[in-house]
Amino acid sequence: MRVLPWVAAAALLLLPAVVRSNFVLTMFVFTFILGIAAVSFNLIFGFTGQLSMFHAAAFGLSAYVTHIAMTRLGIPFWSGVACAVVFVLVLSCIIGTICFRYRLKEFYFAVVTLAFAEMARLTVLNWNSVTNGSLGIAINEKATLWVPGAGTIAMDNSTVWYYVGLAALAVTLLVCHRVLASWVGRCFGALRLNDELASTLGINVFRYKLLAFMIGNAFAAIAGALYAWYIGFIEPEYLSIPQSLALISMVLLGGSASLVGPVVGALVLTALPHLISLSAEARVMTYGAILIFTILLLPRGIWGTLEGLRRRVQGASATSVQTLVETPVQKPPEGAPPPARESLGQAAEVR
Amino acid sequence: MTQLILGQLINGVIVGTLYGIVAAGITLTFGITGIVNFALGAFMTLGAYVAWYLTDHAGLPFPAAVVLAVLATMAFGAVADQALFRHTRNNLINGLLVSIGLISVMEAGILMTWTATPKEMQFVLPGVLNAGGLVVPKMKGLVAVVLLAVVFATYAALTKTWVGRAAFAYAQNPEAARLMGVRTRLLQSGVFIYSTGLVGLGGALYASLYSIDAGFGGTYVLKGIEAAILAGIGSVGGALLGGILLGVAEAIGSIFLPAAYKDAYGLVALVLILLLRPAGIFGGSK
Repeated sequence: MRVLPWVAAAALLLLPAVVRSNFVLTMFVFTFILGIAAVSFNLIFGFTGQLSMFHAAAFGLSAYVTHIAMTRLGIPFWSGVACAVVFVLVLSCIIGTICFRYRLKEFYFAVVTLAFAEMARLTVLNWNSVTNGSLGIAINEKATLWVPGAGTIAMDNSTVWYYVGLAALAVTLLVCHRVLASWVGRCFGALRLNDELASTLGINVFRYKLLAFMIGNAFAAIAGALYAWYIGFIEPEYLSIPQSLALISMVLLGGSASLVGPVVGALVLTALPHLISLSAEARVMTYGAILIFTILLLPRGIWGTLEGLRRRVQGASATSVQTLVETPVQKPPEGAPPPARESLGQAAEVR
Repeated sequence: MTQLILGQLINGVIVGTLYGIVAAGITLTFGITGIVNFALGAFMTLGAYVAWYLTDHAGLPFPAAVVLAVLATMAFGAVADQALFRHTRNNLINGLLVSIGLISVMEAGILMTWTATPKEMQFVLPGVLNAGGLVVPKMKGLVAVVLLAVVFATYAALTKTWVGRAAFAYAQNPEAARLMGVRTRLLQSGVFIYSTGLVGLGGALYASLYSIDAGFGGTYVLKGIEAAILAGIGSVGGALLGGILLGVAEAIGSIFLPAAYKDAYGLVALVLILLLRPAGIFGGSK
């Protein structure tokens, strides 16, 4: 039963040898890079239950910081990425501390992170001497990669990017998996379900929320730098609200209760606009319609629904006790916290 | 200098009433249905486009166009409520995300119908008011007065009529209100649709002042949320004051501080308010 993941991994590894089409490879590179951003967003949203609107900002800021570090300090690409990750970690530590010290939750957390993201976007948009404002930056500094046996090679074709993207995504999934499988992951789950109860159980709510926020944003930083260098261009749009929404759509469409779900969402949303040729407006409309459709009709996402079907098929054949033991506790259908009734009177009290 | 400040003050108040009407819509919808309807911005854009189309292309007089625009937004709001938001009642995150999806759909629909070229409506009411050296276009003054009147009428309706008191009762305790004979589903749909009508009116009047494009509502809904939170969510009159405060702060702020960061000042204020006084400026201290 555990064969399928290995087959999928082997297929992904061998794909560039079989498929020569640049178009298909490009699509996969985008899927991998956006997949990193979506998976790391889901660590904050789906697994810890915090709707952060800062993800696109971490994504875009990192592209700018990488570029600035490379041009001003003259360091290679990966050192630049490291600088960007450190920068984003420090920034998200500050923002996270502000939000979680003051116990901002749900809508208020979303609004405050949105406010910080917009401030970051406005700064990037208006700080012309450093960021070139709304015109954006065309990247001239090539990314290079040190490969054992081959020395330093330039990352200038889709095949190299394919493997870099795949490796980065694999590392992201592995790290997130290890985190979620550990004690820390259990704490995240407890915070998602009920953070007041979690705190009475001795879980440090502030510390674990901040940790989830920082880990998630760090991976968004990696994704942002890779994305910018693959496209060869940086613009303030990377930090915009629609970019955050695209990530949310990927997570919800793929399924927010699983680790790989967001990657499936990224694949579908990257491939879909290319498979059916649509005008720009119709594409935006399709995005919106998919988001609405997913929330109302497919709350567990594509991956979650498939998992559910598989369980049902298995459950029909296996003895019930066996399934109960082997099947981990099913997460609630939506990654969102349980519906809370907020009335006019209460709204003021909920921070 | 005094004249500049006074002029900006008046401008701020006028823009602020527009923020205020969106804030009132946000606050009402949130209080009664538990949804933060980001799509109110798109409804505002819809109202603006319908008013522009009916005035400049169908040749209707402006007041008739405004009334029809409000009715059109409310009809659209009713469809959205029954088809989508009925299923996300009191589920904050899902409602938020559905409304965000709806924005994409509506904005794309507007772009497809009326293209991306910004639209300028012909002057409805030319001429200026001149009071002691201060020049205010008549239309701007009229818009501010109409919006103020509508928000006050809403406030009066909420406090004085049976339906308004039912809404308050529902906001305080849904179960008790239902037991007292409040038809809660009807109330929720009604408030949702009324809110879309409010922003539709705001949009229709906006079209007579500024050029409109498919995205302007998005900016206004952010300002509306800022204003609603600044004032303290749940108060309709406070929402209006919050909007005016925000408009004035932006207008005066851009005299003394770099205007490029105009939008950021409201955000900073918003974060500070949420951290230090989450009940809002006008909300009772907890």
